Amino acid sequence: MTGKTIAIHSYRGGTGKSIIAANLAIILARKGLSIALLDLDFRAPSLAAIFSKDDKDLVEWWLNDFLNRRCTAEQVVMDESGKYNLEGRLLLGLANPSIDAIRSMADKSSSWEVTAVKKIFSLLSSLFKEMNIDCCILDTSPGVQYSSVNAVVSSDISVVITTLDSLDLKGTKSMLFDLYDQLERKSVVLINKYCPETRISKCESPESLVLRIEKTLKHSVIGAIPCFCDVLQQERADIMAVKDPGHQFVRNLEEVADNLRRMEKVC
Amino acid sequence: MVVAFGFGSGSLICSIIAYVDIHLRVLNMAKQPKSPASNKNYFLEKVLEQLKFTNKKLDSLVDLNQKILEKQTMQHTVAAKDVPVQETGMRILPNSLSLLSLPTSLRKTVMVLYKLESATAEDLAKETGRLRAVESSAANQLVRMGYLRKRREGRDVYFFIDTYLERKE
Repeated sequence: MTGKTIAIHSYRGGTGKSIIAANLAIILARKGLSIALLDLDFRAPSLAAIFSKDDKDLVEWWLNDFLNRRCTAEQVVMDESGKYNLEGRLLLGLANPSIDAIRSMADKSSSWEVTAVKKIFSLLSSLFKEMNIDCCILDTSPGVQYSSVNAVVSSDISVVITTLDSLDLKGTKSMLFDLYDQLERKSVVLINKYCPETRISKCESPESLVLRIEKTLKHSVIGAIPCFCDVLQQERADIMAVKDPGHQFVRNLEEVADNLRRMEKVC
Repeated sequence: MVVAFGFGSGSLICSIIAYVDIHLRVLNMAKQPKSPASNKNYFLEKVLEQLKFTNKKLDSLVDLNQKILEKQTMQHTVAAKDVPVQETGMRILPNSLSLLSLPTSLRKTVMVLYKLESATAEDLAKETGRLRAVESSAANQLVRMGYLRKRREGRDVYFFIDTYLERKE
C-alpha cells in the first residue's frame, strides 16, 4: 500500500496545528508506523522549537534548502526515532525559523511556487518509495496562501482545525467551500480548545457539539478536543504524547489518529 | 442560384441567404407586374449580395482563427531535445492558487502533472480515472492557454509543466 499524506491546516493562526501535528506524529509512530513530519509553515516555523532543533547547528539542511534545490530528499529528513522510544519510525523535515529564511521565503515569486509544489511531490514520492514511510504529516501555514495550498494540493486528506470562535468558524466554513470543495480535496474538521465549562456550552455534550458544528460547516468533524490549560502552559519542547502519554489531550488525539487510520487506511 | 454553406456563425447567414434565394425564385415564378415587384426583387437581390459578401468574410475569419490556433499549438510543441525552449511570449506557470481560477476539468489535469514530471494523455487518464480522449482534450487546451507544454517522443505526445521560466528568474 502506498503511504498517505495528511495536511494539518486551519483558517487562522493559533489554533494548535503544530502541537497537534507533533503529537499525532508521535502517537502514530508509537503504534508502529513509519511517520514523516514536515514543517511547511515557512512564515512561522515552529516544529524546530517543539523538537528542540531551533539551534541552527543542530540542523544541517532545512526544507527551505530542499525546495531551493540545495540538498536531496535523503539529506533533508532527520531520523528522530531513537529519541522518543517509538515502535515505528519518526523522520523530521524542518523549516528554517531564522528571520532571514522567513524573509527569503516570503519574497518568492508565484512561479517559484510551481517548482515548490513539484518538489513537495518528489519529496513525498522519495519518502514513500525509498524510505518506506507509511504516513506523512504536513504542518501548514494558516489560511489561503501558497505554502498552505501547496500542502493541501499534495495531501490525501486535510485535517482542518478550528476553535469555536465565530470568526474562526466563519472563515473555516468559507475556506472549506472555496478551497477544499473547489479543489475536490478530502477534508475533515477537528475542533480544538473548546471550553466545556462555559455558560453557553454547559448543557452541550461533545457529541452534540460535533453534530452542531458538522451542520454548520457541512463537513464531517473527526473529533473535539477541550482546552487544557496545562497543555497551553507547556514548554514547547515538551511534547505531551512524550511527557505525559496518559493525559486526556493525548487520549483525545489517539481517537483522532484511530479515526484517520480507518478513514485513510493507513496500515 | 448556388448557396455555399459555411460553418460556425456563418451558418445563420447561409440560412438567411437560402431563405432570400427561395423567396426570389417564388417571386420570379409568379410573374407579377413589373414595377412594384421588380423594386422588391432588386432590393432582395441587393440583400442577397450583401449576405453572401458577409458570409465570405466570416468564412475567411474562421479560417484565419483556425490557422492562429494551429500556429499557437505548434509553438508550444517542442522537440524533446530542445527542452528548455525559447520563450513564446504566452507562458503561465500554473501555481496552486491559480488552480482555483481554472475549470474543474482542466484543474485535475494540472494537479496530476504536479505529481508526474511529464505524462501522455493515457498516463493522465490512469491518474484521473477519466477517458483518454477527455485528458487529451484538456491537456491540449491547457497547452493553448499557455499553462502546459508538450513534446513528441516517437509516437507519444508528452505534456509537462515547463518550469524554465522560474529557473531563469
